[in-house]
Amino acid sequence: MTPHPNGDGPHPAVDTHELWKIFGEGSTAVHAVQNVSIAIEPGEFVALCGPSGSGKTTLVNLIGGLTDPTRGTVRVDGRDVGAMSERARAQLRLERIGFVFQAYNLLPVLSALENAEFPLMLRGAGREERRREVSKLFEHIGLGGLEDRRPGALSGGQQQRVAVARAVLGAPALVLADEPTANLDTQASDNLLEVMEVLNRERGVTFIFCTHDPRVMRRARRIIRLVDGHVERDAEKEPGTLPDWVLEPVDT
Amino acid sequence: MMERWVVVARIAVRNVRRQLRRSVLTSSAMVLGIALLMFVRALEGGAHLMYVDTATRMGTGHIAMEHPDYIGSQDVEDRIAGADLDRAVQAVRASAGPDELVAVFPRVNVGGLAQSASSSIPVRIGGVDPTLERDVSFFADKVVEGRYLEPDDRLEAIIGAGVAERLRLELGSRLVLMAAGSGGELESQLVLVTGIFRTGVPEVDRGVVQLPLATAREWLELGDDATSVSVILSADRRTEAIASAIRQRLDQAGVAPEGLAVRPWWEAMPDLHAGLRADAVQTYIMLLILLAIVALAVVNSILMAVLNRTREFGVLRALGLNRRSVGGMVMAEGLILTLASGLAGMLLGLAISVGLFRDGVDISFLFGGDVAFAGAVVDPVIPPAILASDVIAIISIVVAMGILATLYPAWQATRIEPAEAMKTDE
Repeated sequence: MTPHPNGDGPHPAVDTHELWKIFGEGSTAVHAVQNVSIAIEPGEFVALCGPSGSGKTTLVNLIGGLTDPTRGTVRVDGRDVGAMSERARAQLRLERIGFVFQAYNLLPVLSALENAEFPLMLRGAGREERRREVSKLFEHIGLGGLEDRRPGALSGGQQQRVAVARAVLGAPALVLADEPTANLDTQASDNLLEVMEVLNRERGVTFIFCTHDPRVMRRARRIIRLVDGHVERDAEKEPGTLPDWVLEPVDT
Repeated sequence: MMERWVVVARIAVRNVRRQLRRSVLTSSAMVLGIALLMFVRALEGGAHLMYVDTATRMGTGHIAMEHPDYIGSQDVEDRIAGADLDRAVQAVRASAGPDELVAVFPRVNVGGLAQSASSSIPVRIGGVDPTLERDVSFFADKVVEGRYLEPDDRLEAIIGAGVAERLRLELGSRLVLMAAGSGGELESQLVLVTGIFRTGVPEVDRGVVQLPLATAREWLELGDDATSVSVILSADRRTEAIASAIRQRLDQAGVAPEGLAVRPWWEAMPDLHAGLRADAVQTYIMLLILLAIVALAVVNSILMAVLNRTREFGVLRALGLNRRSVGGMVMAEGLILTLASGLAGMLLGLAISVGLFRDGVDISFLFGGDVAFAGAVVDPVIPPAILASDVIAIISIVVAMGILATLYPAWQATRIEPAEAMKTDE
């Protein structure tokens, strides 16, 4: 087990134990995540796949401390997220976790550049350092020259790239990305994924993707397939390959 | 940490600008409310200054000095000795600057009877020094027939219009005044009506007679004594400080407090003071109710803005902003809106008060003439006056409104759960 360069010790980056998330009660209860126990080591590049409604986003939200588990535990860097205070959880997200949401979720009053550097600003990074990092990344992912545009003046794909930039800038220990390549063309997807691979390879950033995109799954080195909230299959694989079982329809 | 609040404040400012139409609509009610409060208080402040001015010029002065026993007895036996009178005047001149002191004059005030050939009525008799009082006397301004007293007058007197009516007197009529003199004996004095005044205050017009101080002293056998010394100042601002200084000087001279009570006008005329305060409180209560209604509209508007941006607050939380910072952002937005509105309202109120109505607001249509209040009277054309105390009170109201109107929406924003807010559960 390799300690993450930003980590506190030899803990898994993410460790869930008999994790459940049930929405609602009684006959209307929805079991979004059921008895999920997984360990993701620092520096892994993992794709969570499965049909819509299989619990991928809920699992990512549980890992990020955005929602509380009904039962079981989630540990990030060895720390029990469910037992943390709201304040400590916010601090954990700020310092250790980058999020890419399904619907971009950029702040409409901030420019592309300000959106991207927002977590860095909250962490207290200096202006020069922020601007340098943002400019470098923006050039690389095709956002050069769009720094001052507000989200409303960007295309869906451009917004998604800003959202990804926001998640990965400052190289957090863990990036949770929910459909990061949705709305992107092949070239833009490849550029983004390359950036993520470089961060993963060179700085040991752990990536967990929720995805339906075979391009993402092909690059992943481990795939966890969820069906109805259960882990149906969890396997490591060679990058560049795509096992058949990944895209198999759900057996009803 | 500081950086975080800078980011929060920046987003708050931009959100206010982003919802410009909503911000303007929300703030316009508050701007008008605060402007109205400012203007009404300026008008009331102006009227109050005039009430104080006329009340003091009726003889009490901004500072009144009497023998402590005279305050209760109103008896000439409890008067100020001539020597103390000189010391009092010296103390006044030493305590008030030349720009501050308008006049200082002794008076003999006594209750008595006024009798004509037809009738007799109780009156308040004032022995006044025309040389010292002419320029400041409210009665001198209100003479409607004949003239005010002259320095050489001896048996001349001015009477209220009500006194003239009740005793059927006219200019040149003879009038006998009766009052207890220094020995306690009833003394009488014949005077001639040389002027008739109409102040607009019924109790004054129906019950005041003034004659020369020298005549009053001789008639009542008071020598150089007087019942009071009045001090007229150019402004009310330093009344308290000057009264204290006079008190201190007289204390050192061994005159006060046993021999002389030095009282600012609000102690000498408690009814007027209480009336003015009640008037101000009433206005504030009325306008605070109005502003509370405005505040509810502000609460509603900010709350709607929060509910419309639930997703955005969820994202902020997910990115690592804690509940306190999210609440702080909403508070900042609300405070920016309310403080800017408050400032705009105050400026508008100021512009209306000292710009549009610089020459005064004529309220005679409400009263049909002069306006009397708690024994004082004012010209119905009231020049608005912005008092520092009102500005401080209004700023406090604006800040309190801003905080109160924002607390509930901010609390709501802190309760937003990020995952729920983003509705991204699969």
